Amino acid sequence: MTTDYPFEAKPESGELKTVGTSAVRIDGLDKVSGAAEFVDDMDFGPGLLHAAIVESPHAYARIVSIDTSKAEAAKGVVRIATGKDFPYKFGMYMEDRYIFAQDYVRFVGEQVAGVIARSHREAVQAAKLIEVEYEVLTPLLDPKSAVADGAELIHPDLEDYTHVPWFFPQTDTNIAHLRKIRKGDTEKAFAEADYVLEDTYEVPRYAHCAIEPHVTVSKFDQADRLTVWTASQSPHTQRHLFAEALAPLGLTHKDVRVITPYVGGGFGGKAGVSMEIMGAAMATLVKGRPVKLRWTREQEFYNTYQRQGVVAELKVGVMNDGTITAVEHKLYWDAGAYVEYGANVVNAAGLSATGPYRVPNITNDSLCIYTNLPPGGPYRGFGYSEFHFGLESHMDRIAEAIGMDAVEFRRKNAIVEGDELAYGASMNPSGMLEAIDKTAAAIDWGVEEESDNPNTVIGKGIALFWKAPAMPPNSSSASFLKFNEDGSINISVSGMELGQGYLTVMAQIAGEVLSVPVEKIRVETPDTDRNPYEWQTVASHVTWSSGLAVEKAAIEARGKIFDVIHQVYGYEDDSLYLEDEAVKCRTDESFSKPLRDFVIDGIQTEDGTWRGGPIVASGKFMPEFTNANSDPETGQGGHPNVHYTVGATGVVLEIDKDTGRIWVRKAALAVDAGRAINPDLVNGQITGGLVQGLATVLYEDMRFDENGKLLNPNFTDYKIPTAFDIPDEIIPIIVEVPQPDGPFGARGVGEHTMIGAAPVIANAVYNALGVRIKSMPITQEKVAMAIIEKSET
Amino acid sequence: MNLTIKVNGEDWALDVAPADVLLDVLRERIGVKSPKIGCERGDCGSCTVIMDGRTVRSCLILAVEADGHEITTVEGISYDGMSELQTLFIQNNSFQCGFCAPGIVLSATELLDNNPNPTRHDVQEALAGNLCRCTGYEPIIDAVLAAGEGGSE
Amino acid sequence: MVIANEFDYRRPATLAEATDLLANHSGSVRVLAGGTDLVAWLRDDAIAPDLVVDIKNVPGLHDLKMNGDTLHLGALVTFTDLIESDVVKERAPLLAEMAETVASQGIRNRATMVGNICSAVPSCDAGPVLLVYDTTVHLTGPDGDRSVDINDWFIGLRQTARTEDEVVTHLTIALRQHGGVYVKLMRYGGEDLAQAAVGIIAYPDHEYRVAFGAVAPTPIRSIRIEDALRGKPLDDALVAEAAAMVRDEISPITDIRASAEYRVRMTEVMLKRGLVAVTERLAGTGPAYGTRLI
Ligand code: FES
Ligand code: FES
Repeated sequence: MTTDYPFEAKPESGELKTVGTSAVRIDGLDKVSGAAEFVDDMDFGPGLLHAAIVESPHAYARIVSIDTSKAEAAKGVVRIATGKDFPYKFGMYMEDRYIFAQDYVRFVGEQVAGVIARSHREAVQAAKLIEVEYEVLTPLLDPKSAVADGAELIHPDLEDYTHVPWFFPQTDTNIAHLRKIRKGDTEKAFAEADYVLEDTYEVPRYAHCAIEPHVTVSKFDQADRLTVWTASQSPHTQRHLFAEALAPLGLTHKDVRVITPYVGGGFGGKAGVSMEIMGAAMATLVKGRPVKLRWTREQEFYNTYQRQGVVAELKVGVMNDGTITAVEHKLYWDAGAYVEYGANVVNAAGLSATGPYRVPNITNDSLCIYTNLPPGGPYRGFGYSEFHFGLESHMDRIAEAIGMDAVEFRRKNAIVEGDELAYGASMNPSGMLEAIDKTAAAIDWGVEEESDNPNTVIGKGIALFWKAPAMPPNSSSASFLKFNEDGSINISVSGMELGQGYLTVMAQIAGEVLSVPVEKIRVETPDTDRNPYEWQTVASHVTWSSGLAVEKAAIEARGKIFDVIHQVYGYEDDSLYLEDEAVKCRTDESFSKPLRDFVIDGIQTEDGTWRGGPIVASGKFMPEFTNANSDPETGQGGHPNVHYTVGATGVVLEIDKDTGRIWVRKAALAVDAGRAINPDLVNGQITGGLVQGLATVLYEDMRFDENGKLLNPNFTDYKIPTAFDIPDEIIPIIVEVPQPDGPFGARGVGEHTMIGAAPVIANAVYNALGVRIKSMPITQEKVAMAIIEKSET
Repeated sequence: MNLTIKVNGEDWALDVAPADVLLDVLRERIGVKSPKIGCERGDCGSCTVIMDGRTVRSCLILAVEADGHEITTVEGISYDGMSELQTLFIQNNSFQCGFCAPGIVLSATELLDNNPNPTRHDVQEALAGNLCRCTGYEPIIDAVLAAGEGGSE
Repeated sequence: MVIANEFDYRRPATLAEATDLLANHSGSVRVLAGGTDLVAWLRDDAIAPDLVVDIKNVPGLHDLKMNGDTLHLGALVTFTDLIESDVVKERAPLLAEMAETVASQGIRNRATMVGNICSAVPSCDAGPVLLVYDTTVHLTGPDGDRSVDINDWFIGLRQTARTEDEVVTHLTIALRQHGGVYVKLMRYGGEDLAQAAVGIIAYPDHEYRVAFGAVAPTPIRSIRIEDALRGKPLDDALVAEAAAMVRDEISPITDIRASAEYRVRMTEVMLKRGLVAVTERLAGTGPAYGTRLI
């Protein structure tokens, strides 16, 4: 492909050789052969100890007493830990959690104590012997009652909590953070609008369900070093939080080492720090002994982050020509018992809750509300999946009400480059209109289809999506790169290979700059002692941010390579270029020096001495144009988001009118990747994300009883898709409007692919049946009962 | 209790407790790590192994039940290099995080052993008990179908 | 979770040894066949037996064969055995249709049909099908052999006519020309426990058997619906009449898997579609066995 992209890494021919190709994953063989090692697969020898956790059976209670005496006497027990051992707070954006509960438990499943024993079975047996006496309190289980007047305060000390400067806790309420956007004059715009639609949409909680449960092995050695092997998306952030939380024990950052081998899926669930801190802390009680803590599938459901539920009150005003004039979006988030990470989901959603539309008058309130349910946190889509359900349902309803085609309506209002965002900055280049048109074409939008089965009807739907990475303004990435004797390359970075293909993409970026094929590049998973910094692998930002750091390291290495050639042969640096693993020269076509000849040993000169030496390089990237200093009352003034990735989803589905069963016959998804470094991997994100998103709308959801206990902490009753639960046909569409500051123009797509799935089903169900369902999930039961209700009234 | 078991062609004699589960014994006592712990109740298929020629959930089998039986895992089928199916999985970028891969490789291997030319529905049926959260299954199904067609030529 | 409770394990080589172990032990005992329920319950701490008796080495329990027109199904016959059996395919394809809806391949390779009706959860797939086949359950115990009519087998939630010291040896089904259907309502396309299920057999001369799963504490047969259908050619009106009786015949609950009302409505739909399909299958037409009707 020939392009005129403006990047420094441009190859000699102008044609990309590696970037833009569907290279085979560099971790493919590891994974298919069984060689891939995950944390639980590592061996720690006979000294390995096992931990089990005692958990609260109550959603809200005061701990009266804990009696560990029977457990201490049990067979195989080495040590018991309780809150008394670690009276330390921790948290990603807001320090509102303790390692083990102190005086109160605030959700069913909260950790109260831990047992360390010689075997897993002995640890579990002893944990049952710990007696905890509780004074049971009345829990608050939904966000609306938690913000009602006179509601009990779940965190009475909220105002004393340490938090990032862009959070605004509301003292003497259960609102841990309130993100406000005020732009234009919404009230006036509604008064002048030709049509206003107001309604409420509800989205429950969801579980990530990575197939690998959380697991961590921690060792605090005799020299006071803490090493943690962990299934994590965030090795450096974990190191930072361990060092901060355990600082009272004398630990500093250099004393903490986090090692993260392959991880069996994350989806946000393994971001930040959750159960790992218990393992790390417990290890400090048994010096020199590694301690393994592995979550059961049940714990995986109730004591890691969950995707927060939301009640969304939405009001949108339009003119008869279809122009959106005002949006008022109030998002009441069920953020759970601790919001140390989840509050940032609320923040991100609040900034972008207009969706991908040009809106002159905006009132957004995004409320992070404490409840006595498990802690909310990051989940693929980071708040956007949640609010898009209502927003994109609403857009269809408005289009219908004013007699406009739903695609036309969206085209008319879609945000494009240069439009003003809700917080005042301007929109980045994007291929939104192209995405809309291609998606609509892929599902034959506008063509009505009839089913040949008398029991079924067919419906079509479309929904747009957008999302920006939600990160602190100074989150950064770094990379190291070194050559080996044969011209192969090792790259060290600290992004995580979660399955998205990160390692392969980094290899492609470096390979493109250095003319080295992907098969000759090894990219390793992180060890914080050895690999350079990366904030976290979240927010769909590592292709962009870490990719830039790798690109810079490769460019630096190339400079060093050219320097050696210049020293020995005298060619000017700017006459040199790399091609097919060799240095070539524009002014001397006969010159070609293979990299493998000198990248370690250098080049011998005529006098017998040597020049050069091992080629090593580093790169870093920080988005220096962002800031989070916006006005708390209006949200104006800052530049919190680096850029948005946009796209569109369309489906054709068939519904059984008697049973409500839904088959997705065709699903198309167009996403603007800026540049697909590896189209096959982008398609992988489209397929995987779409299927995960469809599951949230068709059958998944977390159900709690009236005491706040999760009823379906297993795959028997929390159904995730099987090989039968995929669309008959998926049409992935990659749009490429380059991101000016991205590596080769790339921007992230990992989360975006699931965001449109929920509303697109809601819209297609309406299209098929004339029934509008405003709460997720849209199960076959809900559809069937809605059909029955409609026919019987 | 005594347990005599053949794993990937090698004979083992071990002393295990009746409450020890086959999955844990394979991983912790025999050092075969490709069967993974995903749910421990038969729902996810990560722990799939081949026992006497058929796939089973090693999380739902007591180790003592496997006494006298033969177990094959992905390590076992990979000794002599990748099978055609495995090669197609690699070339097709079928997996993402790869945690489900050992189980899926074995389930698909069992299918192709019994049915060299499976339909898409057959493949879905064979894999329906192996949960994959990453891929949406499409690239996995495609590779198995390709392996099937290859086998018939 | 790791199995926290410890227990003894025995693997008898003969039926006599097995029944002896069951009759003469201290504490609680459990029979282990495929183990797909039992091991899961052990892990959940739902049961804590002192002794587990594994019957897989007992000879003769694997038999799947015809004795004249009687189908003999040994206690260790797995769901995969049913699916792959030529005898089943030719003489009782309804068993295979049911077996294909059970869990997943890796479970079906291990789980036994007899184990399924011994666990006797309300949603057990084998329940409705064995009910409509008028199956006989054969047991042996300290007092010798006995047989139980399947209609007397399920006596309550997870309770059967088997006593703790008995072993089910096999099932027998007297076969004659029939069409069968098993319709199972699930939350999605993949593996699931039944939200509700209907098993139906049609015999010549408008003779039907009808049973339901997951809509009462046990799988249940509906004699009233069978009576209403008897002797009359099936038409839309008769189908509607039968469906209208469903609400009074079942007693579903609302739980995490479905609401009671949805279960009633869907059982009506399944009965309607099932009756049509089963009548066609008897006539040699109708959807192939294994086709999902909902
Ligand atoms: S771990 Fe065995 S099926 Fe999930
Ligand atoms: S590739 Fe991640 S679970 Fe299948």
